[in-house]
Amino acid sequence: MVEFVCPIVMLMLIVSFGAAFVRVVIGPTLPDRVVALDMAATIVVALILTHCVQSGSSYYIPAAISIALLSFIGTVALALYISKGGPS
Amino acid sequence: MIREILVSAFLLIGGLLSLVAVAGVLRLPDLFTRMHAATKTGTVGVSAITIGMMIHFGNITVTSRGVLVIAFFLLTAPVAAHMIGRAAYRSGVSLWILTRIDEWKTHGDLGEEDD
Amino acid sequence: MQLFVVNVLISMLWALLTGKVSVGSLTLGFVLGYFALTLLYPAEEEKKNSYFQKTMQVVRFALFFTKELVVSSWRVAIDVIKPLPLMRPGVIGIPIDAETDLEITMLANIISLTPGTLSLDVSKDRKTLYIHAMYVANPDDLRKEIKDGLERRLLELLR
Repeated sequence: MVEFVCPIVMLMLIVSFGAAFVRVVIGPTLPDRVVALDMAATIVVALILTHCVQSGSSYYIPAAISIALLSFIGTVALALYISKGGPS
Repeated sequence: MIREILVSAFLLIGGLLSLVAVAGVLRLPDLFTRMHAATKTGTVGVSAITIGMMIHFGNITVTSRGVLVIAFFLLTAPVAAHMIGRAAYRSGVSLWILTRIDEWKTHGDLGEEDD
Repeated sequence: MQLFVVNVLISMLWALLTGKVSVGSLTLGFVLGYFALTLLYPAEEEKKNSYFQKTMQVVRFALFFTKELVVSSWRVAIDVIKPLPLMRPGVIGIPIDAETDLEITMLANIISLTPGTLSLDVSKDRKTLYIHAMYVANPDDLRKEIKDGLERRLLELLR
């Protein structure tokens, strides 16, 4: 049963990933783009964990943790950049 | 059997919630309402998938790492949203046109940055 | 705190005795150990002992928090489907009693994860928390709901 569900969930996540990048492209302001990028990183973590379930190996979980960590740091750095004046 | 059904259910819930979160990010009208969708639904979605994975493997290494992932998301997602929201508001991102009240503007202290 | 260490030791002992160290056996050992410890203490002493009280509070708060998380994602799902002009977002300020950094951070995080609200900023005198809410029918009702519900529960857990 899990073998059938995993590809479906991965398809959902990939569609979400692409849709998040639509917001990255059209987002009118920089904060909109940052929120969408954060969302995309969250979806990548979910994708990695789904791949772990599908392949039955747990080797990629530390990769998921470090992507979550890096995306948080990146978001905070961008927020500081925006509050210091941004690209203007 | 029950374990398989549980794993499938959690994975599907996680996938659906990710779709909902992205639909919110695409469709809602201004930055702050979009952050509602991204913060809450995104966090719960990835937590559901993590729980599914923890049930699927069921050994102690994966479970402890899964708990770490969930705790990390619950701690950092609101902090990131808070920082972006504050920075965006101060840099002049406008609220949605139908926003009812803005007490921050009327009697908040939007003075100079103190950090 | 001492009792907590004893409880963890009991759960490890249970896992070793049953012969398999897994999440299930450790959790079961912890729960069994907790009930064994409550049996060791008479009822009136149990009320006074801070470990038992704290445990009940943590369990209650965890259940409450999980319920709020589920409700909040459900509400976002409904908001995404609904036509947009039905939303009435607003930014309101809430006077807070939380004082230390930890209390304010926890309160802001939990407000962000509960349905319909998102914390934005703390004023400089650390007395007011500004939040963005999805539906502001009456600002005073919302303020009262957060102060009496969330903040009271959180502060009784942390203090």
